[in-house]
Amino acid sequence: MPATIKEAVFSKLMVMRNDIELENLIEDYLNGKLTPAEAQAFEQLRANDQAIDHRVVAHKVFLDSITAYAQQSSLQEQLDHIHETIDVDTLSRKLGPHPSYIVNLWKQNKSALAIAASFILLTCVSIYSVLHNTRQIGSYEMLSRKLGKIENKQDSQNKLIRNIVSNSQSGKPVLSPAKYGGTGFALTTNGYLVTNNHVIDKADSIYVQDSKGASYKVKVVAQFPERDLAILKISDNSFSRLSSLPYKLKRNSAGMGEHVYTLGYPKDDAVLGEGYLSSKTGYGGDTLAYQVDIRVNPGNSGGPLLDNQGNVIGVISARENEMDGATYAIKSKYIMDALGTISQDSLGKIVKTKKRNVLQGLTRTRQIEKIQDYVFMIKVYN
Amino acid sequence: MSNKLSSSVPTDREVVLGILNNSEDALNRLYTGHFPMVLQFILNNNGDEDDAKDVYQETIIVLYNKIKSGDFELTSKLKTYIYSVSRRIWLKKLSQQNKKTSNNLSEFEDVIAVEVDVEQHEEKDMQFEKMKTAMLSLGEPCKTIIQDFYMHNLSMQDISEKFGYTNTDNAKTQKYKCLQRLKKLFFQN
Repeated sequence: MPATIKEAVFSKLMVMRNDIELENLIEDYLNGKLTPAEAQAFEQLRANDQAIDHRVVAHKVFLDSITAYAQQSSLQEQLDHIHETIDVDTLSRKLGPHPSYIVNLWKQNKSALAIAASFILLTCVSIYSVLHNTRQIGSYEMLSRKLGKIENKQDSQNKLIRNIVSNSQSGKPVLSPAKYGGTGFALTTNGYLVTNNHVIDKADSIYVQDSKGASYKVKVVAQFPERDLAILKISDNSFSRLSSLPYKLKRNSAGMGEHVYTLGYPKDDAVLGEGYLSSKTGYGGDTLAYQVDIRVNPGNSGGPLLDNQGNVIGVISARENEMDGATYAIKSKYIMDALGTISQDSLGKIVKTKKRNVLQGLTRTRQIEKIQDYVFMIKVYN
Repeated sequence: MSNKLSSSVPTDREVVLGILNNSEDALNRLYTGHFPMVLQFILNNNGDEDDAKDVYQETIIVLYNKIKSGDFELTSKLKTYIYSVSRRIWLKKLSQQNKKTSNNLSEFEDVIAVEVDVEQHEEKDMQFEKMKTAMLSLGEPCKTIIQDFYMHNLSMQDISEKFGYTNTDNAKTQKYKCLQRLKKLFFQN
């Protein structure tokens, strides 16, 4: 028994001893410490014994790693040593924090700042637009007043010239220079006319002149300042009834882009203005009026606005002096409303609204030929 | 400042030759010469001084190994190379830490392609870390014996004297046992 134990321990020791020897051998072999003869013998052994070959390979890997480890550790130590010689604090104070603090703050809060900024921008824009809107409304009112004044001034100037001409022509003593002028057109065959209220406002006496040059005295039947419309009636005895009206009034509103024209008396003869309907609302969104793109002059006020079929769709009332070709016309619907306030018996044969009108299908020239007898120049004295 | 810095930075050729000749001075000047650049870069990109040190040392190790391995060609300025490698390493670290990556890191491409070098280094570094953990878990006196023998190249005679073994055979047996344990630890991971 003791002998066997001893033997077992001994053999184990032997195995270990052998292992140690083998390991040393391998190590020496790998480190090239063997003599050429020994190395050759070892390689022979390695070729014959798979287990030993495996151990050689494994040990080589291990040795390589430990060498690399040794190298890197020593390099690391060296670098650490060098690093200690650098005054990192001073350097980083010089290079880092100060500029980067704000930069970092910006980077970290970029999104929040962006949201805040866009919110502020939005607020600014909306506040500005609100202010801007109200300011526009204010200037709009002022503008309209100014516009009226300018128009009046121009009116009187034009009128002055016109009267000099008419005076020399007619030589009638009754006609002292008229102060204001405008245009009007017939609504009934018995002498009811419509024009702008601002044309005849504050007038002492009003005369109309037809296309042939005959003047008639008229009286104001009704005034609608809020719609800038006025109904006049020819009260002159020399006036004979008109033949039936060629145009009709359009009750429903006209479409945008529709070609329209107007006949008016900015000078002594009738002048045609042509254009298109550019907006269904008037100055500053006024729903009583259209905006049309026609060049008009003082004196055109009160003229009929007709579409291609010869329907009267409105009454030229004003223009905007700041904007080119922006003219406003009161919608024809309101002429009917105005007429409706006058006693129906006295009106006689009234302008048609429903029937097909005779102008439809005619050329523009023919239409104008037929219309011009029903469009009058209005002369105002005060 | 820039004058002073550039005067302390050695020329690229000097550095490469110096490292190939194991010149400590060359390494020293390389290290101190380019550190401010990397420090500035890291500090301005969500890092601190310690990050800068780690990144920079890794960069220098990459460069050092590349020069040592012999396949380093001076296709660009060393400064550019160092900057690119540092940037690449720091970028990886940031994404690993899952920190908020700042935009200017990702928004421009590498100045020069260093991806391969960095990846090679990472592999090596993994081996290094493996060995390090194995060493650390080995315990004393094995760790010192192994380090003395394999890293500091002490002879078995010196070791048995240092550790007070009665003879070198005992020391050898001890070293053998230690080595087996270390191998086991190393290959296990």
